[in-house]
Amino acid sequence: MFEGYDFEVIERSLGYLFRDGMVFTLTLTGLAMTGGIIFGTLLAMMRLSSFRPLSALAGGYVNLMRSLPLVLVIFWFFFLVPYIGAWVIGADRPIAVGAFWSAVITFTMFEAAYYCEIMRAGIQSIARGQVWSGYALGLNYWQTMGQIVLPQAFRNMTPVLLTQTIILFQDTSLVYVISATDFLGAASKVANRDYRLVEMYTFVALVYFIMSYSLSLLVRRLQDRIAVIR
Amino acid sequence: MISLRHVSKWYGTFQVLNDCSTEVARGEVVVVCGPSGSGKSTLIKCVNGLEPFQKGEISVDGVSVGDPKTNLPKLRARIGMVFQNFELFPHMTVTKNLTLGQVKVLGRSMEEATQKGLKLLERVGLSAHKDKYPGQLSGGQQQRVAIARALSMDPIAMLFDEPTSALDPEMINEVLDVMVELAKEGMTMMVVTHEMGFARKVAHRVIFMDGGAIVEDAKKEDFFGTPRSERAQLFLSKILQH
Repeated sequence: MFEGYDFEVIERSLGYLFRDGMVFTLTLTGLAMTGGIIFGTLLAMMRLSSFRPLSALAGGYVNLMRSLPLVLVIFWFFFLVPYIGAWVIGADRPIAVGAFWSAVITFTMFEAAYYCEIMRAGIQSIARGQVWSGYALGLNYWQTMGQIVLPQAFRNMTPVLLTQTIILFQDTSLVYVISATDFLGAASKVANRDYRLVEMYTFVALVYFIMSYSLSLLVRRLQDRIAVIR
Repeated sequence: MISLRHVSKWYGTFQVLNDCSTEVARGEVVVVCGPSGSGKSTLIKCVNGLEPFQKGEISVDGVSVGDPKTNLPKLRARIGMVFQNFELFPHMTVTKNLTLGQVKVLGRSMEEATQKGLKLLERVGLSAHKDKYPGQLSGGQQQRVAIARALSMDPIAMLFDEPTSALDPEMINEVLDVMVELAKEGMTMMVVTHEMGFARKVAHRVIFMDGGAIVEDAKKEDFFGTPRSERAQLFLSKILQH
């Protein structure tokens, strides 16, 4: 059945696949997750603000990002960011951002919209009385958020945030459209060079499956352990 | 100490508070009672600005609550508040609950705050539970911690919003005992409650609310003797039968 296939191509390219490809994928996932959660949390706080312009702005941003295909946003940012960068620092030529940082910015901005909705639900799940209680102690808005609401919201939402991160991890493979060498990109290059498409893509699928699935198992275990006792 | 003048509040077009005026003097214990939906909880939440009001004026120790220029967090830090559902912070230990406000708001050192917190915890009889999380305590214990937390800020007055309504009957007294003791020490207190026994024991005045308005504002003796309003008489006859 496996006649004519050469699975050794995988072994030969393991170093390149993981040291170059997977490191890129994981770094991108990690940075975009961190940035996305921070930015998304700020967006969620804005969306829940009673100050109309602020909540409208955040709402508009989230709806815009969630209505656009990710591939489009990746492209769009890749071509736009150098010009925005030039405009910000006042350079007369587009600045070279590079595929990696362009991808980091794109995924942070894009995922922030999704993390925002998760954090919004998380913040809203905290009873109004907790906020009152913080205010009654004399804490201001930021202290109440930082000490009381957000820690609880994060804890309640950790499983969902991680699930979203697994999706982010898979979505980073879309950077192939800007020719960045992530895990899939690296495999694809080897596959095309050696004409071993079936072998490489099967292997890539397997790796993505194992990593995503074990992460989601971990999330499920975590869910029971971190619940706040009430 | 606490003064309310012609306070009115609306939720949209629905009026929840209707021209409420009263005073709580220093060291006075005032019980606010009335049927549910009469606006008692809303009224007490207006006193420290947790609920905004549209008309009238409330001042605490000379500071206007409704004035946008007032530093509300600073004012609230001086007024202790105890809630119906305790509202301890479930992700923090009892000790952390007791020190948070002292450290973050009053700028006390962790050491000083902990010492003060533990002293108050001892006072409410819960020293043994200092490292537990609120979820590991019974309702009555949680409410006593909540009172200790409010006291840790050295408040000039205490507001209680139905502090025993969410408790099982056998736990009500342990909380009331702490409150009685507090009242006897001369703490200025405004207490929304249905516990008429508590009112009889320590209240100086009783306010009866109905439909968002203060219907009766009388000395305890007068209130339990012969309330002037028919509505208050009916209310009393209903809850005192049992």
